[in-house]
Amino acid sequence: MKVLVPVKRVIDYNVKVRVKPDQSDVDLANVKMSMNPFDEIAVEEAVRLKEAGTAEEVIAVTIGPEKAQDQLRQALAMGADRAILIETTETVEPLSVAKLLAKVCEEESPQLVVMGKQAIDDDCNQTGQMLAALMGWPQGTFASAVTKEGDKLHVTREIDGGLQTVALNLPAVVTTDLRLNEPRYASLPNIMKAKKKPLDKKSPSDYGVEITARLKTLKVTEPPKREAGIKVGSVADLVEKLKNEAGVL
Amino acid sequence: MALDQQHIDALAAITGPKGVIEDNDRAPYLTEWRGRWTGTAPIILAPASVEEVSKIAAYCHEHGVGITPQGGNTGLVGGQVPDGQVLITMKRLRGVRDVSPENNTMTVEAGLTLAEAQQEAEKADRLFPLSIGSEGTCQIGGILSTNAGGVNVIRYGNMRDLVLGIEAVLPDGTVWNGLNRLRKNNTGYDLKHLFIGGEGTLGLVTAAVLKLYPRPAQSVTVFTALPSARAAVDLLSLMQGETGGMAASFELLSASTLDLTLKQFPDLQRPVETEAPFYTLMEFTTGSGTDLGEKIEAALAKAMEKDLVLDGTIAQNETQAAELWQIRHNVSEAMKKDPAYCVKCDISVPVQDIPAFLEETGKAVEKAAPGARVIAFGHMGDGNIHYDILGSEDGERDAFKARSNEMERMVHDVAVAHHGSISAEHGIGILKRDELAERKDPAEIQMMRAIKQALDPKNIMNPGKLL
Repeated sequence: MKVLVPVKRVIDYNVKVRVKPDQSDVDLANVKMSMNPFDEIAVEEAVRLKEAGTAEEVIAVTIGPEKAQDQLRQALAMGADRAILIETTETVEPLSVAKLLAKVCEEESPQLVVMGKQAIDDDCNQTGQMLAALMGWPQGTFASAVTKEGDKLHVTREIDGGLQTVALNLPAVVTTDLRLNEPRYASLPNIMKAKKKPLDKKSPSDYGVEITARLKTLKVTEPPKREAGIKVGSVADLVEKLKNEAGVL
Repeated sequence: MALDQQHIDALAAITGPKGVIEDNDRAPYLTEWRGRWTGTAPIILAPASVEEVSKIAAYCHEHGVGITPQGGNTGLVGGQVPDGQVLITMKRLRGVRDVSPENNTMTVEAGLTLAEAQQEAEKADRLFPLSIGSEGTCQIGGILSTNAGGVNVIRYGNMRDLVLGIEAVLPDGTVWNGLNRLRKNNTGYDLKHLFIGGEGTLGLVTAAVLKLYPRPAQSVTVFTALPSARAAVDLLSLMQGETGGMAASFELLSASTLDLTLKQFPDLQRPVETEAPFYTLMEFTTGSGTDLGEKIEAALAKAMEKDLVLDGTIAQNETQAAELWQIRHNVSEAMKKDPAYCVKCDISVPVQDIPAFLEETGKAVEKAAPGARVIAFGHMGDGNIHYDILGSEDGERDAFKARSNEMERMVHDVAVAHHGSISAEHGIGILKRDELAERKDPAEIQMMRAIKQALDPKNIMNPGKLL
């Protein structure tokens, strides 16, 4: 089985996000960038499938700037076999990403696409579903467990009110949730070896996909600061404030 | 020594009822966090201003009443534990008087916690680099009086290197304004250095001018498995050479340290599969520009070629970096969770002597206490090893505890033979007071006593500590 893992370069989860002074966008100058954590889980899952003998080849793909190679190298260091960088400096919206990935799927014919359920920068949670629709493949989203049973893939999904297990025919798209696995540390020898693994560079035009954005960002603002609370002297004070100031009673 | 009620009343009147800690609130100030000492104090005062501190000192001086100053009560050698003295906590003196990103300084009061000071610096887009395990609790006055070190000393120095000026209340109540903000000021004796590491024996530090640094834009965290302690020494040289001195931390963990920590904290993922006698946790930082990650990878490739590094990992994101640091930060807690008693030593030797020190001490421990577990870790880049000895798993806790003095001296003997120190960063306090007098050059002890006599002739400031 061939597994395709799309990954995205995003602002690091632990970085305090700042808005540019002109409010045009989030400030990315000198900000630590990392692989989207959900995608990291996807890479881990694909590599585990390979280690278990279920998958033969793991291909990592990203759409982004030249520096997004860092994230592909991480995927290669974790155990992916080769990587594809579709290079662009544009902002690529989920539908364009899905179209590009669909082209990659046509070219590579993977049996399985594993990807993060969403990216932590725009939190769209759309690309996996769009890709499944474009390919006409079944989808198992928000996966917390993935097992191959015969020619089907059993995906346990985290849904409101519990867990649901779906059986998917292959090829299929699986999107990962947080509890699926804990990604490994990339070992030094593997980080070194990753430098020598093949990394193809492409551009969106190579796939004949138009990536022009359809949305225009008007303004980016920080969330309003939470005001400090106060201590009330008595229950009566509290009730009075809830009634007259908060208007909730 | 019981204190007359009239003195207690007079002291309480200086701070008012808000500044007197009473009843059940007293216990946290009198108990040392590891439970080694319990203090006694006739009254615990929390003055709200420098003026109140001055009045308290003047009163105590006049009536010959002893004072023990206390910061966050996180000390490890008992310096903050009162033995019948008036306890003064600085927790209400927590103002930020001035932050200057241009001059790269900030002036803060003694009761501010280290974490709060770091945050104040961050607000001004600057770094206050001192970082220690207790940073959420320890206070500026305390870490100044104990000259604290921590994980960034290799790059930025210890507290002594990070203070430009101080304000202190002298034993007779005089307020000394020594809040120098200048990096160059050659005008006689640099008296602040007597108070830094002075353990509260010369006066009460109320505020300090701290040095700030640019915030590094890039940081790379690396965990490695090494074939020997010698390899760690060579790796430090190699990495510093290859990166032009970008190491902000260089921490060593013995195999026993990593194993114990992972055993006590099963949620932590083992960072490397390879089993090795030693591991290092390194952090490198720099500004924007050249890719630091590439530089570190190239340096590590060289280290692997030279067989200095067997295996390792480079944190791929800040989450992994934090998880690697979590291992290091949980070492002390892991030992606390172990039922056996732990003898804690805090030695330093010249960096190149670390392998010999570890080997010789290891043999001595094995001979003296078979089955005892050596937990050696710490700030290798500074030559500072926390050499802790956990009693054997099936041994008697109290029996091993009774031998702690003997064990400490055994470790100290080896350190001193290597031109080392018996207290690298924890200080002297009660724990090492007698040993200090034995081990230091008599001329130095003589000078220290002369200074103490000159500034505190009535011996009211933290008596029984340090000297």
